Amino acid sequence: MADPAPNPSFRSGLLAAVPIAMGYLPIAFSFGVAATRAGLTGAEAFLLSALIYAGASQFLALALIASGAPFLITAFTLAAMNLRHLLYGPALMKRAGPGARRRYAWAWAFGLTDEVFGAALGALARGRVGFSEPFMLGLGSGAYSAWLAGTAAGALAGGGALEGWPVLSAALGFLLPALFLSLLLSILTRTQVPVIAVAGAVTVAATLLVSPTAGILGGMVAGALTGVLGREGRE
Amino acid sequence: MKADLLALALIVGGCTWAFRYLPTRLDLSDQPPAGLRARFLAATGPAAIATLAAASLLPMVSARLAETLPLIAGLMGVVAIFGWRRSVVLATLGGAAIYGVACALV
Repeated sequence: MADPAPNPSFRSGLLAAVPIAMGYLPIAFSFGVAATRAGLTGAEAFLLSALIYAGASQFLALALIASGAPFLITAFTLAAMNLRHLLYGPALMKRAGPGARRRYAWAWAFGLTDEVFGAALGALARGRVGFSEPFMLGLGSGAYSAWLAGTAAGALAGGGALEGWPVLSAALGFLLPALFLSLLLSILTRTQVPVIAVAGAVTVAATLLVSPTAGILGGMVAGALTGVLGREGRE
Repeated sequence: MKADLLALALIVGGCTWAFRYLPTRLDLSDQPPAGLRARFLAATGPAAIATLAAASLLPMVSARLAETLPLIAGLMGVVAIFGWRRSVVLATLGGAAIYGVACALV
């Protein structure tokens, strides 16, 4: 394998963001449509996407606002949904290595969503690029721009915009699962099989028995703990 | 613009940013590679991606054949294209295209 590019550029980060942007556009579009249907103005929908920038939280925010839930409970619930992001920074920096710069982490970490984290980790694991802050900024900017553009388009278009395009609508709905599966294949090694199997099984079980949020948090923690126990057992 | 909506967006957005940014400041340089925390963090990435893959696929699973066949075709398409070209971009776009066409055919 060729040596990884030591300092990948902002542009290479933007290119790596293409599949994420393709997945974000339809989801953000759906959010824009749903927000205007829920009674928000286009500017308010855009504001939620610009400031929160977390899809599941934003859709839940619409439901909580529509149900008239108390302000503090709404804020706490939405913030708690994103607790899983606490794990991403350390995992990424661990993979990046001890010399990795983080001077502008306050900027690129704003865009460290599930998909951006997965794409960054996948790129590092495949050995095609080393860690660099311009790359992270490019990756995050591409994804964030798509999220904002999709929201704005959805808020402007209103409901039913894709009803005349069923094949396109179906394909767009499968982009994020396809992206996660591709990322999973790109980092797959024999060592990680038990981690992946446990994470997937716990996610499904906890989602069905408790809630999707519990499934995501439980799956990540159970998978990571499996990695700890498995490696310890072989040493 | 409603003031409470702006406040909500600022609070939730601020918390989310803190969850994403503050852990990147942790100093991991003194962590031995075989240490518990290092092993936990090394497994977190694959666990997170596996979790998100399962969570995004779960709502698409159905007992109805007409809904399951496109899903199987899409998943097989992703695996086949990734095995062929080793490209995340091509596998993602190709798998989604196969899923869309399969939905139209079934």
